[in-house]
Amino acid sequence: MAFGKKFEYRLEEILLAFFLIPALLLFIIFQIVPTLWAIYFSFTDIALYGKKLFEYDVVGFKNFEELLTDDIFWKSFTVTFEYCFYSLIIRFSIGLVASLYITSKLFKGKPIITAILMLPQALPGTVIPYAWLSMLDTRYGTLNQILTFLEMQPQSWVYKRAMESVIMVNCWSGYVLAMLVISSAIKSIPQEYYEVCEIYGASRWLKFTKVTLPLIKWPLVLSTILIFKEDIDDFTYVFMLTDGGPYYRTELLSLYAYHKAFTYYELGVGCAVGLVIMILVFVLTLAQIKVSRIM
Amino acid sequence: MLGEPSLELIGYVILAIILLYIILPMAWLFITAFAPTGGPYLRIPESVTLENFAIVFGLAKLKYGAAAMSLHMDKWIVNSLIIAIVTTVVTVILVSMAGYALSRLKFRGKSLLMTALLVLGMMPTTAKLLPLYKLCISFGFINNLIGVAIVIASGLLPTQIWIMKGFFDYIPRDLEEQAWIFGCSKLETLFKVVLPCAGPGITVVAFLSFLAGWGNFTVPLILIRTETLYPISLGIATTFIHHPGEVGLAVPYGPLCALSLIYVIPSMCLYFISRKYLMAIKLGRLEV
Repeated sequence: MAFGKKFEYRLEEILLAFFLIPALLLFIIFQIVPTLWAIYFSFTDIALYGKKLFEYDVVGFKNFEELLTDDIFWKSFTVTFEYCFYSLIIRFSIGLVASLYITSKLFKGKPIITAILMLPQALPGTVIPYAWLSMLDTRYGTLNQILTFLEMQPQSWVYKRAMESVIMVNCWSGYVLAMLVISSAIKSIPQEYYEVCEIYGASRWLKFTKVTLPLIKWPLVLSTILIFKEDIDDFTYVFMLTDGGPYYRTELLSLYAYHKAFTYYELGVGCAVGLVIMILVFVLTLAQIKVSRIM
Repeated sequence: MLGEPSLELIGYVILAIILLYIILPMAWLFITAFAPTGGPYLRIPESVTLENFAIVFGLAKLKYGAAAMSLHMDKWIVNSLIIAIVTTVVTVILVSMAGYALSRLKFRGKSLLMTALLVLGMMPTTAKLLPLYKLCISFGFINNLIGVAIVIASGLLPTQIWIMKGFFDYIPRDLEEQAWIFGCSKLETLFKVVLPCAGPGITVVAFLSFLAGWGNFTVPLILIRTETLYPISLGIATTFIHHPGEVGLAVPYGPLCALSLIYVIPSMCLYFISRKYLMAIKLGRLEV
């Protein structure tokens, strides 16, 4: 009897294990296999034309050597970090200011403005650059109209100020992440701390630097990592706004990989760039999981 | 004493600048969708018209210059809907099975498997795109909406399994055992007791996967080559790839804005409903 029950239990376990299989199978086929394949391809001379798509050879580290000597790769490397750096600063500071606004008791009309502040992230990714392209138009764009109104020099945004435009669009929807992380951290600070400050007559600045900041230290670190991780493989906005141009001034790493593979048909080199991005994101993900466990 | 009141004023000024920055593009999108003549300029129109929406649904023809460009906006909407719905169905079915199994099974290395799923699921899609393209050629997923949906769903699985497992963990084992005592078979228990209890979880997973399928851009970008099979995201994007850089007045702004508005509304609603879980996914803290 005891044996029978145990047997039944095992049978149920096996059945349950079968429940796992379809999901794991789909995930392995369309996510793990491409990832491993990408790693393998980055060591071959596979190309997107003719025979080379099917008959390719392992060439070792040749692709990576090619990357190291390619000026455009280094250009795109520095461009990516420039993009990440400025995006990080702007997204972080707007997010911090917005979260302070959401959590403070000082201002009026909070529910509506909170909803508006959250809107940018609710839009699908392709609508955002579309709406911004019109804003940034040189002759008719709203931004240049405002600049003319303020009696400043209108700019050729998408061309001469490509990097600034791309960062501006990225930050437009990107600050919401920092805002939500930081504001939820501030909300979880016990109110008593501030009451004690009131008793001692601490100023607002003192309250912010001595109570709020130390308590939201890890959420701040986490949002920095998250922002950096999001920006490092950014694709959609830049692809639609400038397509890496003019003269590779906004060629982010992911765009460089895409162009190498689909414009120049060098799939192997493209995969090598992909591997570089993957390693960067992997390290950041580990850091993120570590930090979010500390919190 | 100067510091305290002026802080409020500075706060309002900064807030006003941030709000202007956020609202202007959306205001342009909204106004142009209803304006008879659209352009990249922000201008209050003299009259309000629904003609742009009629053009989107193919009920009216474009009047001005860009008419030569063929637009299949009504088809794009249908394609986006197909992709989103298939993504939702595939994800919900697979995720509820896997989530239930992971919630009930106890085996060695389970937490390792869960963490590995999470880390692997966070790998960037851009790096995977190229082999995915080659893989999809052999599966016949090029120009195949169902294929696009399956690929999108496969990327969603890890995080959604985490969420679903969290919901199943809340359903007590005793509940199932009681159902068995009352003579329900295992399968009956699953469908009549467990799944209804996990209803909220299934709803969340469905919302999130619909949102992902509806808004995805990179997967259709590499898999779809025919213009009539474009989803909205790709449709909007390619109108600009045809006219890169400074677009000027060449693009049919009015209909595109109307289309964008149609595109935006479902994802906006779903975003505000399921925001909490979207944040949990972003943060990698998925214990619900």
